Amino acid sequence: MNLSLRKILFINITFALLAIHSSMAAEKLTVYVVNYPLQFFAERIGGEHVNVVFPAPADVDPAYWMPDTPTIAAYQQADLILLNGAGYARWVNKATLPRFRMVITSAGFKEQYLETAEIPTHSHGSEGEHAHESLAFTTWIDFSYAAKQAKAIAEALSRKRTDLRQIFQKNYAALEKDLIALDKTIKEVVSNNRARPLVVSHPVYDYFAHGYGLNIRSVHWEPDEILTNEQMMELNSILKEHPAKWMIWEGEPVQASVDKLKTLGIDSLVFDPCGNVPQRGDFLTIMRQNVENLKPAFQH
Amino acid sequence: MIQIESLKFQYHDNGFHLSVPHFAVRAGEKVAVVGPSGSGKTTLLNLLAGILTPMAGSIQVDETSVSDLNDAGRRDFRIRNIGFVFQDFELLDYLSILDNILHPYRITSALKLTGQVCQRAIFLAEQMGVAGQLKKHPGKLSQGEKQRVAICRALLPQPRLILADEATGNLDPDNKTLILDLLFSAVSDHHATLLAVTHDHELLKRFDRVVDFQEFQNKEAA
Amino acid sequence: MIDSLYIAWKYIAFNKFKTATLVACITLIAFLPVALERLLNESERQLMSRAVSTPLVVGAKGSALDLMMNTLYFDDEVPELITMEAANRVMDSELALPIPLYVRFQARGNPIVGTTLDYFAFRGLRIAEGRQLAVLGDCVLGARVAESLGLKAGDSLVSSPETLFDLAGVYPLKMTLAGVLEKSHTSDDLAVFVDLKTAWVIQGLGHGHEDVTKLQDPTLVLKRTAKSVAATAKLYHHTEIMEKNIDGFHFHGDLAQYPLTAVVAVPQDDKSATILRGRYLTREETRQIVRPADVIDGLLQNIFRIKNVLDAVISVVALATILAIILVFALSLRLRQREIQTIFRLGCRRATIARLLAAEILIIVIMSGVFCGALIFVVNQFSNDLVRMLFIS
Repeated sequence: MNLSLRKILFINITFALLAIHSSMAAEKLTVYVVNYPLQFFAERIGGEHVNVVFPAPADVDPAYWMPDTPTIAAYQQADLILLNGAGYARWVNKATLPRFRMVITSAGFKEQYLETAEIPTHSHGSEGEHAHESLAFTTWIDFSYAAKQAKAIAEALSRKRTDLRQIFQKNYAALEKDLIALDKTIKEVVSNNRARPLVVSHPVYDYFAHGYGLNIRSVHWEPDEILTNEQMMELNSILKEHPAKWMIWEGEPVQASVDKLKTLGIDSLVFDPCGNVPQRGDFLTIMRQNVENLKPAFQH
Repeated sequence: MIQIESLKFQYHDNGFHLSVPHFAVRAGEKVAVVGPSGSGKTTLLNLLAGILTPMAGSIQVDETSVSDLNDAGRRDFRIRNIGFVFQDFELLDYLSILDNILHPYRITSALKLTGQVCQRAIFLAEQMGVAGQLKKHPGKLSQGEKQRVAICRALLPQPRLILADEATGNLDPDNKTLILDLLFSAVSDHHATLLAVTHDHELLKRFDRVVDFQEFQNKEAA
Repeated sequence: MIDSLYIAWKYIAFNKFKTATLVACITLIAFLPVALERLLNESERQLMSRAVSTPLVVGAKGSALDLMMNTLYFDDEVPELITMEAANRVMDSELALPIPLYVRFQARGNPIVGTTLDYFAFRGLRIAEGRQLAVLGDCVLGARVAESLGLKAGDSLVSSPETLFDLAGVYPLKMTLAGVLEKSHTSDDLAVFVDLKTAWVIQGLGHGHEDVTKLQDPTLVLKRTAKSVAATAKLYHHTEIMEKNIDGFHFHGDLAQYPLTAVVAVPQDDKSATILRGRYLTREETRQIVRPADVIDGLLQNIFRIKNVLDAVISVVALATILAIILVFALSLRLRQREIQTIFRLGCRRATIARLLAAEILIIVIMSGVFCGALIFVVNQFSNDLVRMLFIS
């Protein structure tokens, strides 16, 4: 083959590859999510075939965030909208989203949704008592549930791109392995002292407690605020019936709060539910760190 | 102008028959025909105009043997050469006065309606004193004015013979005189011959000759 | 011929009343069957196209026609209600995709259609002005509604109370007009679209109020404990959903039990449709699933049976009218005998006389034809709207 013919062939092949690549890039699925764990799962499963968007600002709790109209419009244009379910992201019930493209990732275990008893109920008119947020929604920190949510994502992606089903399923299998490993580790960590009373700083650990058989009571404290006297009194009254030795914080508490708790003989540990994008690391690294943080609380 | 010899006519439906052994009118003459109602005066006019066909005899009008013509021939002859003025004017209510005057030109291809004809119509209307009414409809005119319009219509094709059937019959005395004056004047101006059927004895002296139709019938009987 | 037409025209113009009456009679007799045919064809087209484009509808058992009229044409006759569970059931079957509809309320005489975003994609409806529904309280107007109410994106529209005297019932909600749809020449042009949840808020199933746990006014609090707060009836429910109070809006109970008027089911394929239909055939089933095309076809059969009767009636009337017109002409001829005699005496041929009369008839027929044509043109131009006005709504 002479030189000029080789050149022509090379150019043609290059263009063909570019065309294939650009066509593949053009066919990326746009996936919008409502929290970081779903973003992580979708990216792990979808890989280069998906463009995952999680528009909530980094400094807000996505469960209570309300997107503006242009953001809702962007959700409406997505190929898939991954929802957590169990009442997470209250804005979903107040927004108009295309039902056919919505995936409630926890629908597979909706019969096992947990009610949270910590929200004050109210009544008005003839309806009787009711609470506005009666379901616990941090489902992903029961890692067996997290695996189910990941599976729902894999199925949804596969339905959208049947030609990539094998890739998605393979990616899911790898992620599932990581999540089940986490699940197994936690079970091992808590196995000896499951009934040990614990206090949690926010009512976001219901699935965690339920999934791993933990004995928790919840308060409503912010890790970045120093505990007040009223809060200490509240804790004291809890401790009378629930003599916890450890406080599980959802974020790094201020030292002053840690010291105050220490006076009551309570140590602090952080178990970050990781609802939003972490400053460092990813979902798995954060969870693995959470598990490490948990270990002292269950040692004899 | 008119020469009738041994004329015989009979209506099929009512059996009325008419017999005129001899009748002549000179060109330019103004002749009045009188007689009792039903004596056949109008029938005579219709025979002269070629509307009716005689059973026997001959009718010559201006060297044309009307009795020998076919239907189309008689019609053409009538429209070109004979002007009719009726007792009840017979104007068309839905046409303007000008259109009424021009009407003969619109109902036959034998006459051509040109600008010159329109001008002549207007001139005739001016002569008859109805030029100011040309755009009106007959309903807006008086009896006298209507008859003047009818005279214009009769004269427009420049006929050689004018047949007036009780032309003044529906007019008041003043209008009768006026109409007759206008008719005579127009007939003279157009060098035409006038044969008028009339019951009005007051006007007879104005004519050149008066023919008593009853005489024909008596002579025939004799 | 020109002269004949001229004289004929003069006669017709002079006898205006008679001419107008004749022209009106002939126009009507020619126009009515054509217009009726056109309108019925258009109604068939509209009804069928709308029905054919809607594969299956699930609703409460009862009149399938009422269900169709409310679902497809947003008729104000509300069928018996079903629940959101019906839509979930279709979704869970994995045989079809459900589009729930709640067509019950009105806003200034226009039907409010509570649905999901999928409805717009299903019907191919696009936004002409403004934006799509985004949050609770938004509404999107059909093109004709926006025109008739003189509204544009950013304006507001208040829903109408169901009855004037039921103060505790459906109360008006002030909705924000998010956008206006492009004209689709269907019933969608005449509707006000809201999110299904907004329709439920209109009904009062969802509402917004101050956080009762934070109430300061003692007259608003009946009883307060650590775990619960009972508010008095004085507690104000928001009648407008805004950015500052949308957080307070919520729904109580299981959304699956919330009401719908119908669910449009879009099956994956014919086989799925058949299987899905089969699931609603049991005797215990409280819902029905219908193919709109079948229901509308049945309706059209009835309409066309009626049309046949109408055609027969019109034919008889037409015949009577024609005979009357012939009589009018004959009598007119008789009245004009003298005129005919006169022009004959003046030298007019009988054929010309016939031509004069024929010219009059021709002019009248042409005038009738022109009017008839103009009316048919108008009917053609507005057949879409006329059908909707006369037959559908």
